[in-house]
Amino acid sequence: MDPFATLGLPRRYELDRGELEARYRELQKALHPDRHAGASASQRRMSLARAVEVNDAYRALKDDLRRAEALLSLYGGKAEPEGGAADPEFLMEVMELRESLGDAKAAGDLARVRQLADKVEAMRGAARTTLVERFGDGAADPEPVALAEASALVSRLKYFKRFLDEVSVIEEEALG
Amino acid sequence: MGLLQIDDPTAAPRPIGIDLGTTHSLIAYVPSIGPATTVRDCDDDALVPSVVHYRADGSVSVGKEAAKLARELPRDTIVSVKRFMGRGADDPETRRLGPYRFATDEGPVVKFAVAGERVVTPVEVSAEILRALKDQAEDEIGDIGGVVVTVPAYFDDAQRQATKDAGKLAGLEVLRLLNEPTAAALAYGLDSKNNGTFAVYDLGGGTFDITILALDDGVFQVRSTGGDSQLGGDDMDRALAEKLLGEMGHADPAAAPPELVRIALESARAIKHALTDAPEVEAEIERPGGEPLRRRVTREEFDALIQSLLARTGTACRRALRDAELSTCDIDGVILVGGSTRVPAVRSYVAELFGQQPLTSIDPDQVVAVGAAIQADILAGESPNDDVLLLDVLPLSLGIEAMGGVVEKILPRNTAIPAAAAQVFTTYADNQTGFDLHVLQGEREMAEDCRSLARFTLNGIPPMPAGMARLEVRFSVDADGLLDVSASEQTTGIEQHVEVKPSYGLSDEEVERMLLDAYEHAEHDMTARALREQRVEAQRILDATAQALERDAALLEEGERETIEAAMEAVHAAAAGDDHRVVQSRIEDLDRIGKPFAGRRMDRSIQQALSGQKLGDVERETAGATGIEPHLGPGEES
Repeated sequence: MDPFATLGLPRRYELDRGELEARYRELQKALHPDRHAGASASQRRMSLARAVEVNDAYRALKDDLRRAEALLSLYGGKAEPEGGAADPEFLMEVMELRESLGDAKAAGDLARVRQLADKVEAMRGAARTTLVERFGDGAADPEPVALAEASALVSRLKYFKRFLDEVSVIEEEALG
Repeated sequence: MGLLQIDDPTAAPRPIGIDLGTTHSLIAYVPSIGPATTVRDCDDDALVPSVVHYRADGSVSVGKEAAKLARELPRDTIVSVKRFMGRGADDPETRRLGPYRFATDEGPVVKFAVAGERVVTPVEVSAEILRALKDQAEDEIGDIGGVVVTVPAYFDDAQRQATKDAGKLAGLEVLRLLNEPTAAALAYGLDSKNNGTFAVYDLGGGTFDITILALDDGVFQVRSTGGDSQLGGDDMDRALAEKLLGEMGHADPAAAPPELVRIALESARAIKHALTDAPEVEAEIERPGGEPLRRRVTREEFDALIQSLLARTGTACRRALRDAELSTCDIDGVILVGGSTRVPAVRSYVAELFGQQPLTSIDPDQVVAVGAAIQADILAGESPNDDVLLLDVLPLSLGIEAMGGVVEKILPRNTAIPAAAAQVFTTYADNQTGFDLHVLQGEREMAEDCRSLARFTLNGIPPMPAGMARLEVRFSVDADGLLDVSASEQTTGIEQHVEVKPSYGLSDEEVERMLLDAYEHAEHDMTARALREQRVEAQRILDATAQALERDAALLEEGERETIEAAMEAVHAAAAGDDHRVVQSRIEDLDRIGKPFAGRRMDRSIQQALSGQKLGDVERETAGATGIEPHLGPGEES
């Protein structure tokens, strides 16, 4: 399934969030089961199946990591397995960051936790910017070299996500 | 009632909305003319106490009458039954301060032992409340049609399923389970016609919900939801009651006599209500066979007792905001719902949390029922609010237990519903022929910390080396937020398919049996009822088809109109007869014959939505097409 086609959006990494939301709303206005509550059984089933598909596409595109994964799989690529071919320098950096996070958590140093999170968020932002270029504007398929790079970047996004999820848990616990 | 109701036997049954609350329940409906309104009793009260009393002779009373008996006969009078819905007998929630006698300490379902040597489940108790509400609604507005019943947004699958079963047991046609905050937003949003992002803070008798939603030209899109299905005004009462019991010499409140527990809980509630308007109250707590306890309670003391409860709501609010990727400054308004938001400490806490004064212009007790009535009206297709659409989310993540007791999440919380997702699992031992699946709901990582919804085994996998089998588990969640799980094994051409309805302990057969029992005792004639329902359905389909033929004649293929019209005539003729099975079968024929046309209409409306056209009233009827059939796999037919 191509979530970009389902929502009628160009096949590229850069996302116009407002456009996504508007398309999503218009499609659900046409498809949501509540719009077909009085219709025949088969029409209700059709509407349900289509609404599920639109929700799935919406979920895939809305999320930065899932959108990148969707593009990779559309172009026949795959995210590199974790710890596999990833750049050792990068892995080292992530390990150090995680260690620092562990220490900050143990020390209850929330300011340090936030500082680390800001750093990772900046790294994530940079990775996203590069991804926009590598995936191109959807007019033509990306070159194999660009795709390989994108694949490595998607793996990085996963590391960042896990890190930031952990930060959320720490911050949430601290707030009670 | 100011207007004289004229009973029109040909009038279509009227859809209603029911707020099935922990403390009170309400019914509302949208009249032919004018805004949604609540049904009131002869004392002009809209609130029906959610209390059921069981007498030794087997009879039952509900509402005010039952509430009067709560103190005298605490064990035979069930209050706040909503807290027990979908919960196990050994659930810690079940074991909290209360006067009940339980028939069992274990098992997946709570069983109350009440007068007349009866044992009743929470589903049955709730069904009594719903039945009483239905009778009351029928007295006021005549024949009632489909019903929208509200549930806390944070209810899990078992709690939702239990609520739907209670509706079925009460003989209601449940059109939809609607999340309470979404219902409130609907009532509020239609009233104020504002676009923007809103937080709905819903603190009821027994549950807390926070919902963040965006309103955009009639589309109410829930961004995130969170809460605590065991936190509410009851807990405030309990906190104060425990303190009072302690002062009366019962350091262990659970060991206090049931009558005294009930008195303490009722006094605590009365004190809480009084403190809404007064800074302090002089309370007198009766003690059977002893001197009453006289005591002054100040607002400060009460506020201190409930601080930790408020903090728990704050945690849920912050998480919901984060899930929605928003901060408090993005919130254009905060809507208060639920009687417990009348407590001054709650209002000031919310104001501080969101940095703005909450909106309170609609009665927090009635706003949910009114929203439910509007949604019922929309679903019944009789509403002027045609452009309104509610887009809701799954409140709690759904997953499967994987090796090592870890939960593999298949659908994460806050996924827009309806939704479906599949995941492939494999075997871990050579020649493994069976597969145990454990379906769970919750946010924790370990299965033991999540809510167990169902367990089942898929057998008959051909022997093969570990890791070779491909077991696809598919989760589907419908617009009610209810889950359906199917699993299939897809290797060496052998495919198995198992359908599982998660169950909190009541099987379909048990529900069926309860239904039959209920019908035996009531005057319902099931056949007459089925015929009536089929006739309503027939009329609905005929109207919809006629409208489609008129509007989208251009999409008809040659000769198609004639076949469809012949099928319509057959439905019409069958509906004039008195065999509901014939009516049903003709409706199915018409459905089958009209399917390609309906498909074309739906596809056309998708094209219109994608091309960025605003869908007006005409297009909303849908269009159809090629490419729809492949999407209708067997897993989606349910």
